[in-house]
Parts: sequence; structure tokens; C-alpha cells
Amino acid sequence: MLDIRRISTSRWWHKKKSWVFFGIFIFLVFVRISKGSFYKDFYYFISKPFWPGQFQKEVLLKSIEQESLIKLNLLKKDNIRLREILSLQESYNNDNISAAVISRKTGSWWRQIILNKGSKDGVEIGSVVIGPGGLLGRVNNTSLLTSSVTLITSPESKLGVWVDRIQLNGLMVGLGDDYPGLILYSKDADIKVGDFVSSSPASTLLPPNIPIGIVQSIDEPLKSKKTAKISLLAKPHVIDWVQILKVNI
Amino acid sequence: MGANFESKYLMNKFFIKKSSIICFIFIPIIFLWHPNWLGFLGIQPYWPLFWLLPWSMINGSINGLIFGLFLGLILDSVTLDSNFTQIPGLIICGILFGRIKLHSDILVGHFRYGLICSFGSFLCGTLYFLQILFRNFSDSTFLLFLPSFKNILAEVFLTGFFAPFICSQLLRMFKFSRRKLHS
Repeated sequence: MLDIRRISTSRWWHKKKSWVFFGIFIFLVFVRISKGSFYKDFYYFISKPFWPGQFQKEVLLKSIEQESLIKLNLLKKDNIRLREILSLQESYNNDNISAAVISRKTGSWWRQIILNKGSKDGVEIGSVVIGPGGLLGRVNNTSLLTSSVTLITSPESKLGVWVDRIQLNGLMVGLGDDYPGLILYSKDADIKVGDFVSSSPASTLLPPNIPIGIVQSIDEPLKSKKTAKISLLAKPHVIDWVQILKVNI
Repeated sequence: MGANFESKYLMNKFFIKKSSIICFIFIPIIFLWHPNWLGFLGIQPYWPLFWLLPWSMINGSINGLIFGLFLGLILDSVTLDSNFTQIPGLIICGILFGRIKLHSDILVGHFRYGLICSFGSFLCGTLYFLQILFRNFSDSTFLLFLPSFKNILAEVFLTGFFAPFICSQLLRMFKFSRRKLHS
């Protein structure tokens, strides 16, 4: 008797269910081998809205800012106290005068700005004018309502400055263009491009430690002098508001 | 009505008569105003020459000299530089401009104003530059100042560029006011 084999559709690989289980099994093996990285990445996307987000960042930044402000104030006080003990010049006073620039001559030979505060508001000749970035110039003349400031780029201006990295005093001369010259009276001065220049502690015209500029290029040494060009931090041709510092020297 | 008309007429007459002096008053203001959008490399045309040229051409060398001196005094007091002065340049320009005769041909005249003013501003700029060099000569740092020679070149270019527009208008105005004055 010929037993005809039944063509069956009930083999296990014909069942969809078993394939599904197989798929799940492969997936679990993959998860095991990858040490759950897929899960972790999935969790990353799900949990994103619940992170300690931007808000907390702002709070932290604000408190860091406050912390640095308090530190800065403490250091300022310390600095003033120590300077008093050593009987050095005072660096900053708190009685600044804010003023707007009403005329600006920043090209050609005449480099000056005129401010809208004059002798009526207590501006004195010789006061130092700073803007965002650092030193701009000195008050050269006051009228009742205005004061004129000679910029440090003017050919009239000559100031003692301090190069902090090499701990050396130099002379900054306005040249009538946008980059004043720095003269160091030492042939071996190890000045480099990028050095920071601030007002000199030895200067009789300026309070110490006012930022001025950065060395932009260095010329060949000439007769035991080294000269360099300085790029200013405060840009007089764009600044609209300045601070006038009273100098007690 | 009549009184109003008369006062208007008198005002007009006054302004026409004194137009040159009114323009003269405005020179230091423009010099201080320093409109940046008119500049080139942050440098402005040399404004006083635009007024001095027509004035000297009409009124002669002596008048040019005197008003060159006045302009120099005013501009020196407006700018802060106490060591350098603009007076010599302006006086020489006043004298030179006074020796120029009015030209009949309008087009040639226009170009001439540009050339004359360029020359004038070159003269003034060079005299100023020499003062700066001489003052710093003893420090032997005067070589540092040489790159700022470009100030003069930019000023010369701008002065020459604007002179034909401004000088011819001013010259016409001054001539007109003189004619009214004499008639």
C-alpha cells in the first residue's frame, strides 16, 4: 500500500509565530552582545525632555557670574587696601562719570572725541577716559558743557605703558593712524606678537592696570630700541558711551 | 501783510549779503561733525579749503591771507593739538588761491577747482606732517610716523574729488552776493 505523504502546511517553519519568536530571540541575543547599548540610546531619546535642561544651566551660570562678581569686588577691595599700605597710586575710584560721544574725529591727524559732559558735571582736565575694552584717551580741555579728549592714537599722545609678560615699561606714542607705536628702550626685550599692554604702574598720568591693547607687529630693532605696533582693545571709531575716571595723582 | 513781506525781503537780503560769512561759521562745525559716510579710510576732505578757494579767488591775495589766518586760528582752537598748527598751510593757500584768475569756461573751471584744492590740501597736510616729524626728530622715533603719510594721500584724493561740486556752488553764491551788494 502506497502511503502517499500528505503535503502538510503544519511544519514549524511554516508557522508565522515561530518566526516571530525566532526574531525576538535574535534581537535579545543582539541586545546581550551589544551590552544594552540600543536600550541606552533609546532611553536617551525618551528621557531627553526630562533632563536638567536649559533652565538649570541658566541658574548655574547666573550663580557663577555672581560668584565671580563678588570675588572681583573682594579682590578690588584687597587691591585698594594693599595699595594703601604700600602707599602706591590708587587704581580705580567708584565716582565715574558716564558720557556720550557727540563729535568724533578718528581719521587724519586730528584724533579727538568730544563728550557731552563738561566742567559743570565735574570733569577735570587730565581725567582718564575709558570705553568698552579699555583706555581711549585723556581729557585735554573742558568747556562748561563739553569736554575734549585726546585719543591715544593722536600724534600728541605719549604714555607710559607696561608689558605684563616680560615685566617691562615702555612708551606708547600715537602716530596719527589706528595703531599706536610702542617703544621699548631695550634691544633684548623679548616682546612677542599677542603680548598684552596695560597702563604702567609707574605712569604719572594714568592709574595703573587699565587695559590698552595687544602687540600686533614688531619692527626691526633700531639703535638699542625695539618698536612695535599695538592694536587697541577699545575702538574709538565705534564707541558711543564712555566713562570718565577721576584721577587722584 | 506789507510789514511781513518787507521783513521777509530784508531777511533774504541779509542772508544773500552775508552768505559767505554764514558759510565761514559753518566750517568748524563741519570739521567737528566729521561725517563718516563721506570719508575714505576714516579720513575726511580738508573742509576749510572749499571755502577759502572761492573767497580768495573773488577777494584777492590779501583777503585770502587774512581769512586763512582766521580759519587756522579757529580750527586750531577746535582741535586739541597745542604743538602743531594749521595756520601756515592755510595762509599760503589763501595767498596762492588769491592769485588765480576766474576762468570763463565752466567745465575747465570745475576741473581746475579739483586740482587746485588737491594741491592745497597736499600743501597743508605736508606742512602739518613736517611739524610732527620735526617735533619727534630728537627721539629718533620719527621713522615710526612715516606710514601715516597715507593720511595726506587720502585727504588729497577726497579734497580733489569734492572740490568741483562744492567750490563752484560757493563761488556762484559769493559772486551773486557781491553783485547784489554793489548794485
